[in-house]
Amino acid sequence: MTPTDERALTRKQFVKTAVGAAVAGSALAGAARAATYRTAATARAAKGKVVIGAFVDGGLVPFKDKIIPLFQRETGIKVEFLQDDYSTFFEKAFQDGVTKAGQFDVYVMDDPWIPQYASAPVLQNLSKLGFQPDSDYMKPFLDLGWWPPKQGPRLPQFKSATPQLYALPFVGDMQSLTYRKDAFGHAPKTWAELVTVARAKMKPPQTYGYVFRGVKGNSIVASWFPVFRSQGGKIFDNNWKVIWNNAAGKRATEFFVHTLKSIAPPGVVEYDSDQEGAAILGGKALSIVQYSGNAIKSDDPKQSKEVGKLDFGTVPRGPGGSIAQIGIFISGISVSAPNQANAVAFQKWFVTRKAQIALARAGSLPVKRSAFLDPVATKHNRLQKAILAQLNAGAEARPRTPDWAKVEDILGTELNKALGAGTVGGHLDSAASQVTAFLKKNGYYK
Amino acid sequence: MATAAAYVARRRRTQGAGLDRVLPYLLLAPTLLLVLAVVVYPIVYGVRQSFLNFRFGHAVGSVGFDNYRQLFHDPAFGQALWVTLKFVALAVTVETVLGLGLALLVAGALPFTRVARLVLVVPMIVTPIVVGIVFRLIYASDVGLLTTLRKDIFGGGPVFILDKGWSAFLGLVALDVWEWTPLMFLILLAGIQSLPVEPFEAARVDGAGGWRIFVDQTLPMLRSVLAVAIALRTIDAFTTFDQVFVLTKGGPGTSTQLISIYGYNTSFKFAEFGYGTAMLLAVALVVLALAALAVRLIRREARQ
Amino acid sequence: MRRWLGAAVLLLVVVIVLVPIAFMVGTSFKSNAEITQDLHLWPHTWTFANYSRLFRDSYFAQYFRNSFVVCGASVLVSLVCGSLAAYSLARFRLLAGLEKRLGFGILTVRILPPVVIVVPLFLVALKFHLLNSWLGLILVYSAFNVSFVVWMMESFFREIPLDLEEASMVDGSSRMTAFRRIVLPLAAPGLVATAIFAVIVTYNEFLVALVLTSSPGSQTVPVGASTLITRIDIDWGAMSAAGTLAAVPIVVFALIVQRHLVRGLTLGAVK
Repeated sequence: MTPTDERALTRKQFVKTAVGAAVAGSALAGAARAATYRTAATARAAKGKVVIGAFVDGGLVPFKDKIIPLFQRETGIKVEFLQDDYSTFFEKAFQDGVTKAGQFDVYVMDDPWIPQYASAPVLQNLSKLGFQPDSDYMKPFLDLGWWPPKQGPRLPQFKSATPQLYALPFVGDMQSLTYRKDAFGHAPKTWAELVTVARAKMKPPQTYGYVFRGVKGNSIVASWFPVFRSQGGKIFDNNWKVIWNNAAGKRATEFFVHTLKSIAPPGVVEYDSDQEGAAILGGKALSIVQYSGNAIKSDDPKQSKEVGKLDFGTVPRGPGGSIAQIGIFISGISVSAPNQANAVAFQKWFVTRKAQIALARAGSLPVKRSAFLDPVATKHNRLQKAILAQLNAGAEARPRTPDWAKVEDILGTELNKALGAGTVGGHLDSAASQVTAFLKKNGYYK
Repeated sequence: MATAAAYVARRRRTQGAGLDRVLPYLLLAPTLLLVLAVVVYPIVYGVRQSFLNFRFGHAVGSVGFDNYRQLFHDPAFGQALWVTLKFVALAVTVETVLGLGLALLVAGALPFTRVARLVLVVPMIVTPIVVGIVFRLIYASDVGLLTTLRKDIFGGGPVFILDKGWSAFLGLVALDVWEWTPLMFLILLAGIQSLPVEPFEAARVDGAGGWRIFVDQTLPMLRSVLAVAIALRTIDAFTTFDQVFVLTKGGPGTSTQLISIYGYNTSFKFAEFGYGTAMLLAVALVVLALAALAVRLIRREARQ
Repeated sequence: MRRWLGAAVLLLVVVIVLVPIAFMVGTSFKSNAEITQDLHLWPHTWTFANYSRLFRDSYFAQYFRNSFVVCGASVLVSLVCGSLAAYSLARFRLLAGLEKRLGFGILTVRILPPVVIVVPLFLVALKFHLLNSWLGLILVYSAFNVSFVVWMMESFFREIPLDLEEASMVDGSSRMTAFRRIVLPLAAPGLVATAIFAVIVTYNEFLVALVLTSSPGSQTVPVGASTLITRIDIDWGAMSAAGTLAAVPIVVFALIVQRHLVRGLTLGAVK
């Protein structure tokens, strides 16, 4: 670069820098203004808002579109609804509570978060705030809000503690079977029947018999769970000993990673909820065990190519019965809620009969029996009947331990590897020894 | 040498007295305050944290060096370290070779070099999150670019990249190569263009072929520029995070789980802040050592 | 012959660089039905639906405002602070030879992986009520950038001959006047290169913004875009639209200033 060149540049650039500086300067002034505005806003907020944090999920759309406006109209309290992606919100909400940052009043969570959130605790004890759950709640949903759990194994630290209510069911969600009437005729009763019919009716590469999520972590574990449990596998025994790799567990898992993979679309290893959903709604798969967020779209011509052909049923039976995974949305009040009174008001309002029926009619799954049976809601939403049937047939939540995130990560990673290989191999054993070492280190047992 | 001495002498003279004596420190103050508050303090805090054990989000006691010791017994960390090393080595090597090849090619003043230089800047300045999005769109087996191309051109079926460990890993390397080869290229091009012409002409007069000239003349003279470029890229590659966060989150299995991702998960997902911080600090030490090396090289290069 | 072969290779490289981006831009103008069913490189029917949905259902306009403010302010702050510090290091002798060591010391800040300090940063920001605010991000980014500014500007200032300042000071102006009138204008190209780099890095930063903000009132563009890539209900159309929008400002910016990019991107190794 010659000196003259450089000088010329200098002048030209100088103008640009000056402009840039002016812009940035005004931005800085704006920032200062915004800072004062923010404090003013916080002061005003003391009267009338509640900050609800949640993760982004199709299952919350009816709540966002219909219920929030209803609540605001009825109570005059303004709702600030903040959403992050699933794992980000899981991490962020926990951080928020642990550090008492006070960014949220109410957390809307996935139910397996409760043990971790309640043992920290980052949630307030609802029993102490005067919440007395009535008998109208669906009991399997309500049970998930207690810590330590009312049933099942407990952590050594919490052996003798009295269960307290930390969260209330928010949207009742669980898995059920969605299948193609034109292929199956009626809902397949057993896994064997599902596989036989699916194999006969599928026409690769256009259609495949069954579809599920194969992505590591939470996703594959959610798809594996109902198959594994129905086929007779168990995750932990009553003393937190890992038993998913015993003979029954390996057989059940082999059915998932080998048999079901053989009738699933290629590439299922990288499928997450969006791809499995697209496969069943787009006619690429004949059956699926899935959560209601996607099942609910079956009759919507804008989202489904197979309107009228899809029907719902219970999870097929195996040696272990018919067991679906419960995965409800559940909400609690943050220990550092800046708008405590409004948070309580919201929690109380949300479980009123009126709000629950409005939720059901908006197309969501409520958490109270009366709303579940509301005739107007069931007419629009035939999935509710299938969910009730599944609750009677068998439904189970994930193990209640604050370390579930870690367990699920290890298990999900190894399952994903086994699925890739198409056989169980040593992967379940490897997951078992990793998890056992982790639990030992954290005092579950010697 | 004489000029250097004179420089120092003059510098002393301009140092002045009175208020001027504190002036240099006043000038430094805002910067030092910022760095102390936003960087040094958090690091010290982090070091303290790395000696604690966390349960349920709270520190439950000091564990000495246990968190650091655990690094040697944690198979997941070993795996993450291995993936990271493989990733850095492969990506940086490919980028260096491609970048050097391109730079040599373009140094010969080709048609539309200017346009190419303009275009090549794009991948490295595009937001890393967006690069992650771009590559998800490329690899998605149902709607992706590769599947589309194969269908449009050959009428074939879908292409699967992210469902197998080895292909997902190579997919991540490809992303890095796409994003960062241009930087290699630009550095090396500048290096080549600043080389003197005489040695090359002399060699050509002596009848040396293209390859010989490259090995005997070009490479030795480019050595320091190459070292700088490789060092810079290695440091950056070690801490790659955003792109993986969007593309695979570390999967399938653990095949793309870099240390940065594993450390992040350990701290935020599993709430083991002590262990997570210990892990990342250990990595930071390695990166800092590399950085010190790089800075030394840059200074030497700048002096030449 | 060799010339044209080279040109062909270069053309290929340009295509490889551009096609993925073009595909994203193309996808952003397709309807979701076309994306999942037709599989073509370029949209058949163009639609702005993805963009209008983006601005209706999410807070993209707000994300942009946050990004511009945070980026502009933090680059400005770091340029001012950093230049002063760099001048001090370049022109004075400090206690214990500090002027030789401080530069690298400050630069290490830039090199440390941010993931190491995000947890403590979060706690510090919390203590000073700087979560979810522009000010918090501005301070953090200023500190990140200032390290780089010092490093770059120190070498630029050293290149400027002392005589010029001295002449001016002999004429009666103070040191700071000389700095402003003589040194800064001469170092302007360096300042520009540095600022450009700082703008790019700041605009693109993700992790710190992710951890320090959780409401749309303060989230920056990369965080907003990543929120869209949700675990459930992936919307390819909206995702590509978000990616395209996020990339536009920084690409336009880089193309305008591209002649000065290289020096910044290489930490001053290349002039």
